[in-house]
Amino acid sequence: MMTNWHVLTFPLFPMSDRPKMDSTETPRAAGNRLQGEEGRKIRVIVIDDEALIAETVAEILKQEGFDAVAVSNGLSAIELAEKWSPDVVLSDVIMPGLNGIETGIGIREVAPECKVILFSGQAATVDLLEVAREHGERFDILAKPVRPEQLIAVIRSSFRS
Amino acid sequence: MTRLRDSLSRKLTAMNLLVSGGALMLASTALFAYDLVTFRGTLLSGTTIQAQIIAANSVSPLIFNDAKSAEATLSALRTTQHIIYAAVYTLNGEFMAGYWRGQGREPLPLPPFNRESGGFSKFEGEKLDLVQTIDFQGKTVGFVYIRSDLGALSERWRTYGVILLSVLGVSLVAALVLSRIAQRKIARPVLRLAETARQVSREKNYMIRAQLTEDQDEVGLLVESFNDMLHEIQKRDTALQESESQFRVLADSIPQMAWMTDKEGAASWFNRRWYDYTGTTPEEMEGYGWESVHDPEILPKVLATWKNCVRTGQPYEITFPLRGADGNFRLFLTLALPVRDAHGKIVRWFGTNTDVTDQRRSEEALRQTEKLAATGRLAASIAHEINNPLEAVTNLVYLARIQPSNLEKYLKLADQELERIAQITKNTLGFYRDTASPAPVDISEILEEVVALYSRKLNFKRIRLQSEYGDRIVVEGFPGEIRQIFANLLSNAIEAMSEKGRLRIGAKQVHGRGNLTAIPGVRITFLDNGTGIPPERIKKIFEPFYTTKKDVGTGLGLWLTLGLVAKHHGQLRVRSSVRPGRTGTAFSLFLPESQEDSSKDGSGSTTKTEAAS
Repeated sequence: MMTNWHVLTFPLFPMSDRPKMDSTETPRAAGNRLQGEEGRKIRVIVIDDEALIAETVAEILKQEGFDAVAVSNGLSAIELAEKWSPDVVLSDVIMPGLNGIETGIGIREVAPECKVILFSGQAATVDLLEVAREHGERFDILAKPVRPEQLIAVIRSSFRS
Repeated sequence: MTRLRDSLSRKLTAMNLLVSGGALMLASTALFAYDLVTFRGTLLSGTTIQAQIIAANSVSPLIFNDAKSAEATLSALRTTQHIIYAAVYTLNGEFMAGYWRGQGREPLPLPPFNRESGGFSKFEGEKLDLVQTIDFQGKTVGFVYIRSDLGALSERWRTYGVILLSVLGVSLVAALVLSRIAQRKIARPVLRLAETARQVSREKNYMIRAQLTEDQDEVGLLVESFNDMLHEIQKRDTALQESESQFRVLADSIPQMAWMTDKEGAASWFNRRWYDYTGTTPEEMEGYGWESVHDPEILPKVLATWKNCVRTGQPYEITFPLRGADGNFRLFLTLALPVRDAHGKIVRWFGTNTDVTDQRRSEEALRQTEKLAATGRLAASIAHEINNPLEAVTNLVYLARIQPSNLEKYLKLADQELERIAQITKNTLGFYRDTASPAPVDISEILEEVVALYSRKLNFKRIRLQSEYGDRIVVEGFPGEIRQIFANLLSNAIEAMSEKGRLRIGAKQVHGRGNLTAIPGVRITFLDNGTGIPPERIKKIFEPFYTTKKDVGTGLGLWLTLGLVAKHHGQLRVRSSVRPGRTGTAFSLFLPESQEDSSKDGSGSTTKTEAAS
């Protein structure tokens, strides 16, 4: 029998079971609360074909005062971005369907103001970024595993500048 | 010049004599016959004329009965030798006057005849009797009687014969002399031609020409044609020599060592590079002298292979070390082909030795490079496999910290991810642990480990995997390398397939194919419905640095895989189809059950490529 490590059930956090964001709960650090253009929370779309990663990252961001949504592929992210105007898109690179770079380019088309940050655990990503750079597309990239503190810091810094 | 038993000159002489002698004989015989036939007529008419002359002159002696005058007239016949008797008679038949040759003075009686007819003639034996009337004023006044003796004729024929024989003799002598001259004109140039031909073939000098004759005859034509032929041969000889020297220059300028042997396999020629490299001399290399530059341990195998090729006429291909002038051995790929004549019979062998020492070294270096690259790829792949669960664990631990209410759930998920990491390291580390000697390897176990390693990729592309193999299929081998073979074939299959492809992996116990027919082992097949390999590419896929995956591949994967299969004395075959709707590739790997048996024959690895259109 072949071993399969990916028997994951979707959604990973069923609505009933989902760690609930208490609306009354004050975000852990008030200073962390960041505002988008119109004074709303910073909107983040998290894309990873590994649902556990997308969901946990989104959950962490929500806990840290962001408005975060997890999706499993680039196409869904672009569709969502068109309606929802995210401030930041955080995407895995190597994914079925659109890869992170293609997704990033698509996002930039529908939401030009949106900040795209990639994160990847594969060295091959470097070559893809090289190709993208040759076509005039630049992306910031974080290496997996990304510590949540680091991730938050990167998102914040991009709004400070 | 050689003495010929049936010399042309003798034949010509004989022919001349025969022809001239025959012609003379024929002519004489004809003359003779003619003379014989016409003689009597001539004699008769000649005698008649003489009788008439006498008759005319005897008229007056008869009338005047003057016997003396008649005798005088008759005596004129003295000049005519064959007339032996002539006489004048009166009308009543009385003898009046006569003429006799030789002895005898007896008048002969007039033979009886018809007096009205005016004359009479009669041949009697060798005698001719002729009577002529003597007429005067229309009346017969007397007769002339002449007797001729034909005996004189025999005399004449004898003379004829003597003359004929002398003419014949003189003619034959003349013919002999003439044919000597003719011999000079015909036989001499022919003999000279023969001598020239002998000289040409003796000296192998095609510049020599036969001396032309002065005459424009057949012999002259023959000499000219012979010279033309020599000219043609000289042209060819020059071309041959040129081609020969071109061949020598070529043979000396190529980087390989080259040689030729006779049809029995004994060396007859080596190029300069051979002597330069081995430091030997042509004398030392005569026949089987080349054995001296071989490694004595390998020589028996080399000789056996060579003799087998010489016997069967099959091309010779073998790699062996040869000792250089410096005493060091270098490795040479040796190829030889039989040279055949127009009838397909082997006349000699032509072979080359190509130094492959450096090539082997760089191949080895390449193999090492690819092993490093493969290790690097594996490390990257492991990193990726580990990074994802690690990312998840990091996030889950963070969440557990800030959301203690869900601690239990996060820890459980984190634990699952940690288990995943442990599995990966357990599986992948197998790639590096390898035994020094062949050990029993469970094929099904390794297949499962490799599939497990690639399960993320399989899932990622939603490839449906169909495994067709039982438990515990065991062969002898190096587990790490077999794992590497499977990993290469599996990752190639995955690369070739788009989403929702189908991959079938099978393994069963079988016997080998081709030269491994008698050997038991395992056949492992990887069958994908991917893009397939076009026929023009399928031959190249086992070459080093051949890749269609420019960004991710080194192009060494299949080449290395083939090397590993060869090390296991196995076979690797590939079939592929690019027909729309039925694309796909099947790799079929045979691994012998035991490394002991198959290692004896020394050359188990074969590849076969097929492209179905």
